[in-house]
Amino acid sequence: MSLSAKANGTSMEPGSETLSGVYANVEAYYGARVAKHGATPLGVDWSCQATQSFRFVQLMRICDFSAPFSLNDIGCGYGALCAFLAMRYPESRIDYLGVDLSRAMISRARRRFQSPDRRFAVGKAGPRVADYAVASGIMNVNVGYSRAVWEDFVATMLRDMRCTSRRGFSVNFVTETAVARTSAGSRAASLYRTNPEPWVRYCEQELGCAVETIENYGMREFTLLVRCG
Amino acid sequence: MGRVIQDSTTLDVLSKLNRRFGPDDIAEMVHLQKEFQIFSSDRLLEDSFKLLGIVPCDRLERERWFKFLGKLKDYESDLPDVNGYNRVILAFEQALTVTPHIPPRPALPVFVDVHAMAKDPRVTFSLEGTPLIFSVQPYRILSIPTKPGRVAREEAADAAKERRAEKSKK
Repeated sequence: MSLSAKANGTSMEPGSETLSGVYANVEAYYGARVAKHGATPLGVDWSCQATQSFRFVQLMRICDFSAPFSLNDIGCGYGALCAFLAMRYPESRIDYLGVDLSRAMISRARRRFQSPDRRFAVGKAGPRVADYAVASGIMNVNVGYSRAVWEDFVATMLRDMRCTSRRGFSVNFVTETAVARTSAGSRAASLYRTNPEPWVRYCEQELGCAVETIENYGMREFTLLVRCG
Repeated sequence: MGRVIQDSTTLDVLSKLNRRFGPDDIAEMVHLQKEFQIFSSDRLLEDSFKLLGIVPCDRLERERWFKFLGKLKDYESDLPDVNGYNRVILAFEQALTVTPHIPPRPALPVFVDVHAMAKDPRVTFSLEGTPLIFSVQPYRILSIPTKPGRVAREEAADAAKERRAEKSKK
């Protein structure tokens, strides 16, 4: 049950049919973004490379770089994390798999980054179990659904990440107290804003994980580092 | 600015600069500077602005914007032996570097302005001021000298005419 439904005591539960619609609309939304802006931060709704990379800095804190590891990048877009990893951790051996709902994004990602250690797949969840998973910004743009439906989508994505991560995963959210604004021209009304508490609780109680919240890094958002038992 | 890029582009870039370095976003910029040293003597100013996405949307105007930034190397600044280009880098570096203080002091936003080159040909940076008449919010103020494009073109035409006249005398 979604957080809104729980809070409201309602029993309206978005079904799998609704979620299929969400995935289709998310794919259409990002397909349009990348068609308009190309394989750039704007194409995945970030204002610039600096803020996009700064989010990767926070998300990658989940990983232990002292040994090789595998990584699922959920909602990988055009594969910007690959460029970041090459720049920031050139010596690290990372078996990377980028997953995205948008075929247009995956097509661009393959053209730019495909290699034996950098692979890509179209889909909504990791098709394999990896040591870690990260997801940057995939919960932020609600493509026109009620809060309850969107939170069901968020919960499903978190559960999928839990199921496909051996050691942990990390995600970011726009903070609810944020001023109604957005980067890169998305409609402010479509941003999903929340607080850490409900999702920390969800990850701890429903998914059985330990959660560290990172805030106060200058952005109106927070990052959850979720460690699996 | 002025002769190099279109007036609408100047307004667009100033708007982008003043939004990103304004009161709402300055904390983010401070963190980005700390993490990536976006403004530094090791990085071209053009690359700093590319990283921040502070570039005109139009490709041709973007090239002109970069050309304008390069021209700042020929400008003077309010610091001795520092050209306008390096002054801009130093100004942002200084503005985004928060020195430890008890109690902590938040970074002041930066207001990027332009002034008439005829009045002062230097790139200037002041540590505190209230540039917005409708606000008491203090800012650091970076100001770039400029002249209207039409004036600059007329001056260039006059100079060319003089050169031709000198040549014909000889």
